Amino acid sequence: MNEPDIQLNDSASNLGIPRHSWRGKEGEESSMEKVKKQSNALRGTLKESLLDEHTGAIREDDRALIKFHGMYMQDDRDRREERAAKKLEHLYSFMIRLRLPGGLLTSQQWLALHEVSEQYASPVIKITTRQTIQLHGVLKHNIKPTIKEFDTVKLDSIAACGDVNRNVTVSAHPRFSPIYEEVFSYADKLSKLLLPKTNAYYEIWLDKEKISAEQEKDELYQDRYFPRKFKIAIAIPPYNDVDVFTNDVGIIAIIENNKLIGFNVSAGGGMGMTHGNAATYPRLASMLGFVNKDELLKVVYAIATTQRDFGDRSDRKLARLKYTVDRLGVDVFKNEVETRSGIQFTNAKNYELNIRHDEYGWHQNYEGLFYYTAFVETGRIRDDENVQYKKAFYAIAKTGNAQFRFTCNQNIIIGDILPEHKNEIENILLQYGIIQVTKNASPVRRNAVACVAFNTCPLALAEAQRYLPSLIDKIEIILNNYNLNNEELSIRMTGCPNGCGRSVAAEIGFVGTAYGKYNMHIGGDAAGKRLNKIYKENIEE
Amino acid sequence: MLAEQKLQSFKNIIQEASRDEIIWMSGFLAAFSEKNVVAVAPTEIEIATATEKLVVSVLYGTETGNSKKIASKLASVLKSKQHKITIKSLDQYNSENLAKENLVFIIMSTHGDGESPAAAQKFYDYLHTKKHDFTHLKYAVLALGDSSYPLFCKAGEDVNAKLLEYGAKQILPLEKSDLDIYGVSEAWIKDVISNLPTAANALQKPQQKKTAKNGKRFYKGVVNTHINLNDKGSAKETFHIEIGTDEAVYYLPGDALGIVPPNADEEVNEIISLLPVLEAGTFNYKNEIFSLFDLFKYKLNILHLPLRIIEKYAKLIQSELPLVRVDLKNILSLYPLTGNVSLRDIISILEPIAPRLYSISSSPYAHGNNEIHITVGHNKFSVNNTNKYGFCSNHFAGLHNGDEVTFYISENERFHLPDSAKDIIMIGPGTGIAPFRSFIFHRDDEGATGRNWLFFGDQHFHSDFLYQSELLSFFDTGSLTKLNTAFSRDQKEKLYVQHRMKQQSKELFNWIENGAHIYICGCKNTMAKDVEAALIDIIINEAGIDEQSAFEYLSKLEEEGRYAKDVY
Ligand code: SRM
Ligand SMILES: Cc1cc2nc3c(=O)[nH]c(=O)nc-3n(C[C@H](O)[C@H](O)[C@H](O)COP(=O)(O)OP(=O)(O)OC[C@H]3O[C@@H](n4cnc5c(N)ncnc54)[C@H](O)[C@@H]3O)c2cc1C
Ligand SMILES: Cc1cc2nc3c(=O)[nH]c(=O)nc-3n(C[C@H](O)[C@H](O)[C@H](O)COP(=O)(O)O)c2cc1C
Ligand code: SF4
Repeated sequence: MNEPDIQLNDSASNLGIPRHSWRGKEGEESSMEKVKKQSNALRGTLKESLLDEHTGAIREDDRALIKFHGMYMQDDRDRREERAAKKLEHLYSFMIRLRLPGGLLTSQQWLALHEVSEQYASPVIKITTRQTIQLHGVLKHNIKPTIKEFDTVKLDSIAACGDVNRNVTVSAHPRFSPIYEEVFSYADKLSKLLLPKTNAYYEIWLDKEKISAEQEKDELYQDRYFPRKFKIAIAIPPYNDVDVFTNDVGIIAIIENNKLIGFNVSAGGGMGMTHGNAATYPRLASMLGFVNKDELLKVVYAIATTQRDFGDRSDRKLARLKYTVDRLGVDVFKNEVETRSGIQFTNAKNYELNIRHDEYGWHQNYEGLFYYTAFVETGRIRDDENVQYKKAFYAIAKTGNAQFRFTCNQNIIIGDILPEHKNEIENILLQYGIIQVTKNASPVRRNAVACVAFNTCPLALAEAQRYLPSLIDKIEIILNNYNLNNEELSIRMTGCPNGCGRSVAAEIGFVGTAYGKYNMHIGGDAAGKRLNKIYKENIEE
Repeated sequence: MLAEQKLQSFKNIIQEASRDEIIWMSGFLAAFSEKNVVAVAPTEIEIATATEKLVVSVLYGTETGNSKKIASKLASVLKSKQHKITIKSLDQYNSENLAKENLVFIIMSTHGDGESPAAAQKFYDYLHTKKHDFTHLKYAVLALGDSSYPLFCKAGEDVNAKLLEYGAKQILPLEKSDLDIYGVSEAWIKDVISNLPTAANALQKPQQKKTAKNGKRFYKGVVNTHINLNDKGSAKETFHIEIGTDEAVYYLPGDALGIVPPNADEEVNEIISLLPVLEAGTFNYKNEIFSLFDLFKYKLNILHLPLRIIEKYAKLIQSELPLVRVDLKNILSLYPLTGNVSLRDIISILEPIAPRLYSISSSPYAHGNNEIHITVGHNKFSVNNTNKYGFCSNHFAGLHNGDEVTFYISENERFHLPDSAKDIIMIGPGTGIAPFRSFIFHRDDEGATGRNWLFFGDQHFHSDFLYQSELLSFFDTGSLTKLNTAFSRDQKEKLYVQHRMKQQSKELFNWIENGAHIYICGCKNTMAKDVEAALIDIIINEAGIDEQSAFEYLSKLEEEGRYAKDVY
């Protein structure tokens, strides 16, 4: 069902040079590669792990495999010492990330999400920087009930994590023109095209019968999957809310006299780096060129197989497409993609990307439907004394008169509202303080992004989402003094250099180095076409 | 002094033992002989050989094994006199036969609050529920007890009295033995032999009595660690307490720590303020001298008085009062003493503070002899909607590092580890885990080859998994072969250890058939019963036998010392 309706050429390279010599570091494959190969199409021993009564954790290899099912095993890092003293193991739980191409939820799906978050998870619903949501704190014995709930409303978490294609993001702005419709449909197609073919997810989490005794054949992923995660974004000019160039494949919709004619395709973007490892670096995607609408899937598929075959499988720190592209050289890489896809890139068409922040407040589209873009600080949907997001969105979903779309700036758009329902929705938004919060937030605050970091992220070196809001309080005061408080300045903070909050693509970026310590980066541009540079190291407040 | 072959095996043991083990053994023996435990120091009693052969039943009711040892001793002496002996635990004995017997010796202890050991309950009830005619029966009873409990040897007393009442003839008056059993039991056996209804003994006079000392050895220790093992959000508090001692404490895994908790100062003062003025300065209580304060703080139970005391109090003040269990201070303030009642009168109706026992959760091998661990569940209950805590567990809950603890060791012969090559199955939900923590540490330390299987359960996995991290590392290293857990409140339908056992039915039975020893520890009233029922089911299904035979199968295991319960 995931097969594209087009004939794809997945054949060998025309580079005339044996592949292995294209490897980056010589040396054997990383242990992760063995785990994938031996996983029996991502099944591993997950079923057995779920039955281990004596621990809230799952077995070593399954911890890697469960990511391909959209989940991460984590533990509450705030509670480690205390629990150790009580002779208890870490407080293990699981984070579940939905696969949500284009980031859209119907009212009915929202209700299910709400219930699950209340019943099986820590109640905060986290909007991610890739336009989907995460639930944290799901205990091992609650994973299956959670996935089952989602399944009843046609939601899944397949391939939301792992060495596969991740959630495909698209500019989230209110659909001003019919073109948006069309572009979103490409996000869906790409997501389906690059899904792993295994039935494991259904067997393990939904107790579905094994379809056939032997392992499913997977043309694309074979038994090795990608060397690393793989990310695709589609920007609809003039908006670059998706940070298109920070993706492995950055696609820009090209629109001429209100028609979608095709796409500019760029490759090799990524934010991650590792402190003290000079070989790692953030990189913006390189432009390959323009292709017609009907050629997009083939080209992206070819990029994917090229990365599958040429990506570094020995050192995971150097396995992302950005390093493959630099190793091969953009031209050689492009050439390989053209051969594999049988499609020639033409020169990239002109495009204007100049807005990255969200367009808050009410908007109306060409069909007359209404949209409200609400500010959700650090993307955490919850209730507190001055604003109750969960109550509000639950009430809105109950009316059934709106849909929910997430943005890559960790905000939410309540959309597709008929004029006759606008008041009803507006009243709910007012009743729970959402319109007030969105109006009153200063531009710096509204444009700020922070990653999750503590207490769940195992890689966090410093706080991010729990700390940034209080830092902005202080920054606001300073900006006030210089009358800069109306500048659409973008500040982003991440708890480590992995860059989940894309801090190195911000005007001001804070990158955690140790608890309470950050590297400060400045000099990025407002539209995300230039990376910032490190300005001061290890600063404290 | 030792017989040649005994000496040889003794030497063998010493040669194989590590230095630490030898130090430990010597201390262990020292402690044993000091306490004159029945186990060691066997002695020969020379008795006039009887002429006729008698048919004798020796019956015992035991909880921790002492009565059984004495019974076996008596039986072997009688056998050596060529009498025809059957020796039985009271739960294996068909009481209906009693009337047909002509000579019976009963050795039984008292447990709980003056109750008979579980194994003797059927027999005890048989005597107490209906009238019998025992006119042909001759008998003698040795009652074991501990004088520091309120009702000393009560169960034995009751049995002796009933037999008399129904016309049986005592060949010896009731003998009671305090903890220092050895002297009394040996003398009693002598008496029995010399008073057997044989021609030889026709004219014998009973020897003069020998009374036992309480014989408890108290240790002083200091709290070194005091942790609540339950995590946030738990309904329970379970304290892991490590007590350090200067002098070495000798015990074996399976033994318990005993303590007589002191009353709280404010309670004591409140009571004293309600008592008649003190005539003399000090009091002599059980041959010890106390100030009034100390007497009430350390010796007398002033809480939740049993009805028998309420009744005595009513007599004392010659007035009606409701028969409900209350604390002494309540009764003193609600129904004040009348002028004619003296301080000594009121003290005379009060009972000693009953000792409390806690299974030891440390191992002398793994933790040494100067450190002892216990696992205390904070005993919560509510009396007309006000929360109250159990006396002793609340005392432990309130301790801090550095506080002093006075305790003794209460051995439990029947709950010790088997030979290190044997498999063991441990079923210990809640605080029942305590002795098994000791078992596992012990077997890990001695590198036992036998396999270890633990069933643990509690309310919630995330907050109530006692000793989880320790158990997991034993599981990883293989010292714990199998680990099954049941958390009752993590899902809609309740899940308990017995359910896990049934899920493992086949393998469990294989272990048993393989010679595994089964241990149950924890809550007596619910868990122990359900687990035993589960065992019976498993035996029925796996062995394909009927219920009756399954019970026999289990009691055979018990006979062989392969099935033991330490429940409370
Ligand atoms: C939730 C989210 C941040 C947020 O606050 O929104 C996130 C959270 C995590 N990211 Fe990320 N990443 C998120 C977007 C990103 C982005 C931004 C983007 O994709 O636009 C990046 C930079 C772009 C890129 O990929 O280069 C990003 C680069 C990483 C990396 C570095 C990857 C690299 O190759 O350099 C890691 C670490 C790794 O993969 O080894 C990582 C790993 C993680 C993990 C799963 C930590 C882990 O591996 O155990 C974090 C889970 C924390 C938690 O407790 O939830 N995350 N992560 C974002 C979820 C996106 C989604 O819905 O899929
Ligand atoms: C061999 C053995 C081993 C044991 N091992 C352990 C162990 O390892 N860990 C452990 O935690 N326990 C263990 N116990 C149980 C322990 O000895 C105590 O019985 C337990 O701690 C309760 O004692 P307490 O003094 O706290 O409660 P108590 O004060 O004795 O009260 C016990 C019960 O009496 C009732 N009661 C008391 N006062 C009142 C009142 N005022 N009004 C109404 N009802 C009242 C309540 O139901 C209460 O639950 C063991 C017992 C035995 C016999
Ligand atoms: C939990 C418990 C309760 C006891 N209660 C009493 C009691 O009420 N009266 C008494 O005289 N002895 C009591 N004892 C002491 C025992 O009767 C004494 O230790 C005896 O030697 C045990 O003999 P056994 O091993 O045959 O059971 C109690 C012992 C325990 C462990
Ligand atoms: S940036 Fe680092 S700390 Fe923040 S979520 Fe990503 S991995 Fe965790």
